[in-house]
Amino acid sequence: MSENHERSSFSDHQARILAEVLDAIIPPSADGLLPGAGRIDLAGAIEDALRQTPEVLAMIVQGLSSLDELARRRGSQDFTALHETDRREVMEELASSQDAFPPVLILQTFAAYYRSQRVLEELGLEARAPHPSGYAVEPNNFALLDAVRRRPPFYRQC
Amino acid sequence: MTAEPVDVLIVGAGASAAAFAWSLAETRMNIVCLEQGDWMDPSKYPGLGGDWEARQLLGDFGFSPNTRGRSEDYPVNDSASPIAASMFNAVGGSTILYAAHFPRFHPSDFRVRTLDGVADDWPLDYASLEPYYDVNARMMGVAGLAGDPAYPPKVVPLPAVALGKVGRTLASGFNRLGWHWWPSDSAITTQDYEGRAACINAGTCLSGCAHGAKASTDITYWPAALRRGVTLRPRCRVREITVNESGMADGVVYYDADGVERTQKAHVVVLACNGIGTPRLLLNSRSRQFPDGLANRSGLVGRNLMLHPYAMVTGIFDERLEGYKGPTGCCIWSHEFYETDRARDFVRGYSLEIVRGYGPAGAALWGLSTGRISPGAGHHEAYGALFDRAAGMVAICEDLPDADNRVTLDPQMTDSNGIPAPKITYRLSDNSARMLAHAVARATEVLQAAGARDTVAEAPLQPAGWHLMGTARMGTDPARSVVNEWGRSHDVRNLFIIDGSIFVTSAGVNPTNTIQALALYIADAIKKNLANLFD
Ligand SMILES: Cc1cc2nc3c(=O)[nH]c(=O)nc-3n(C[C@H](O)[C@H](O)[C@H](O)COP(=O)(O)OP(=O)(O)OC[C@H]3O[C@@H](n4cnc5c(N)ncnc54)[C@H](O)[C@@H]3O)c2cc1C
Ligand code: SF4
Repeated sequence: MSENHERSSFSDHQARILAEVLDAIIPPSADGLLPGAGRIDLAGAIEDALRQTPEVLAMIVQGLSSLDELARRRGSQDFTALHETDRREVMEELASSQDAFPPVLILQTFAAYYRSQRVLEELGLEARAPHPSGYAVEPNNFALLDAVRRRPPFYRQC
Repeated sequence: MTAEPVDVLIVGAGASAAAFAWSLAETRMNIVCLEQGDWMDPSKYPGLGGDWEARQLLGDFGFSPNTRGRSEDYPVNDSASPIAASMFNAVGGSTILYAAHFPRFHPSDFRVRTLDGVADDWPLDYASLEPYYDVNARMMGVAGLAGDPAYPPKVVPLPAVALGKVGRTLASGFNRLGWHWWPSDSAITTQDYEGRAACINAGTCLSGCAHGAKASTDITYWPAALRRGVTLRPRCRVREITVNESGMADGVVYYDADGVERTQKAHVVVLACNGIGTPRLLLNSRSRQFPDGLANRSGLVGRNLMLHPYAMVTGIFDERLEGYKGPTGCCIWSHEFYETDRARDFVRGYSLEIVRGYGPAGAALWGLSTGRISPGAGHHEAYGALFDRAAGMVAICEDLPDADNRVTLDPQMTDSNGIPAPKITYRLSDNSARMLAHAVARATEVLQAAGARDTVAEAPLQPAGWHLMGTARMGTDPARSVVNEWGRSHDVRNLFIIDGSIFVTSAGVNPTNTIQALALYIADAIKKNLANLFD
């Protein structure tokens, strides 16, 4: 959905790491029609969603720094400079050491990705909120109930 | 500040309080209701924004008061329960979030001891509640279809909700097996009704209906009660009920929106804080006369907590079902396995409530939680196989009362006013476990008959502690119950309880229609007994 989100918690560098991590969580589809989660700007949407829980947002920011730190221990300048396989290994290393950061980020990424206009349109959905227009639903056909209607009452009399 | 005593003081402004206040207002008594939450603003409901699913599943409209982060909520320690506590605190109470699936109890539900030799009979029967179910159907605006063979004939003012592809597909499965199904009674307006607009099938019922079609009591009973002269004071959180020298309730101590401690005196106090909030308040109201909590001489306040263990079974279909369109939890029901059948390995039974599918983000998060969708490679294929192809049902299992399942006060946890928070301790009984297993097997069978290529079962469904019952049960014997057959405390004769706490048993259907019918029944009993209310 086309909504503008202000991004302030992540530095430009952290935003670049985040984009790589998001792409690993939801990569582009094989046919290229659906983008990777790091290629559409989800950082602002994730920040918005976590505004009520700043401690969770802080944990994500901290998690991004930890990725850099782990990359440096491997002799790389930072996380973004790693090759793809190394990046995956570093992310796995973090996942096994810190339990909260990856699961929270995955939840938030899924939630943000599947509300983005580009993705919804690609899925053949209208990129809009359910209200106020709602949806048309096929009219009821109660011929299906004929067999049930023929059944005598079966509640216990008491 | 000590305000003048009012005639009747109601605590809580949810489903039961609204119906009760509206009915009792006929007497022209001075009725005041204190509610810890505020009026909701439907223009701020999630359904009007693109992030509606995230707000419902991960944010400020979640089911658990522990994760929402709203100051109106109080925490519930539910770490000793496999089922989490779920509720909402606002004018309208938990009806702000409820699915509005609106069955009545069956006549047999009031006679479980006589019929099945378990639990206790209620001190009233279906026939006594029937006129109140009818009033409630009119006031809430119930949609459905007359003629269901699972029930005695009943009033259904509005045509059934749209069943959609999900309903049609699953109904065909029930037909193939020769099992009962029927369009659900739903507290949702399917036509313009009493100033409310018809449902537009937006599918966001569980995070509030921005259209006013779903009958939350802030838009049904409350406006009518206020027109009748009831005063409703939001953002007032009651800490305790006070008693006078003769052991009668004489009012409450509460905190206003600014956290200032206040008192409100009253001739009659009525509790409507739900099956967790009401025992919490009684247990927090200790005094010289009631050292174990108010109205607790039986020791039963907080005991016999019933939650309705849920099984959720979801079928994955090849075709798209448009399950994100239409009221989430209102479509069709089946009462095929409702009544006791001695051939089974459990007593009592369950109903099946068909639930439609998920929206785009909900599908991804559900797929993640059930291991059907992972991050990384293969994500899109897994999502494509699931989104809009998943629909199923919940089984609502009758929970029998067990004194060890209970609400107590947590020794450490408090709400933002420092009031001790409740703790729930709940164990799934063997009977419930067997019933859940049966329900999973039958739901799987019907989904397969409807064409599902795969099924996923979750039992007991962890977030599903939204039916809160039994913690101040009614009965005629003061040693075995907290309130009498018309909701009056045995110990404190000007104290009434009108919410799901007073249920003797839980039945196998959603409770709110019965909670409200009972609240209307108690209001009428008070009217009839006004001359000798405290005798
Ligand atoms: C997600 C969800 C889905 C549901 N779906 C269905 C459904 O489809 N069908 C159905 O029948 N039921 C459903 N329910 C349950 C239904 O909402 C409840 O049965 C019903 O609202 C209970 O009514 P009540 O009056 O007992 O309590 P509530 O409606 O919970 O109201 C209690 C009120 O008391 C207030 N309160 C508590 N303590 C205090 C205090 N100390 N001081 C001041 N105020 C206080 C609370 O803020 C709250 O507003 C659902 C509930 C949830 C959460
Ligand atoms: S489906 Fe109907 S009742 Fe539910 S939120 Fe939409 S308009 Fe309201």
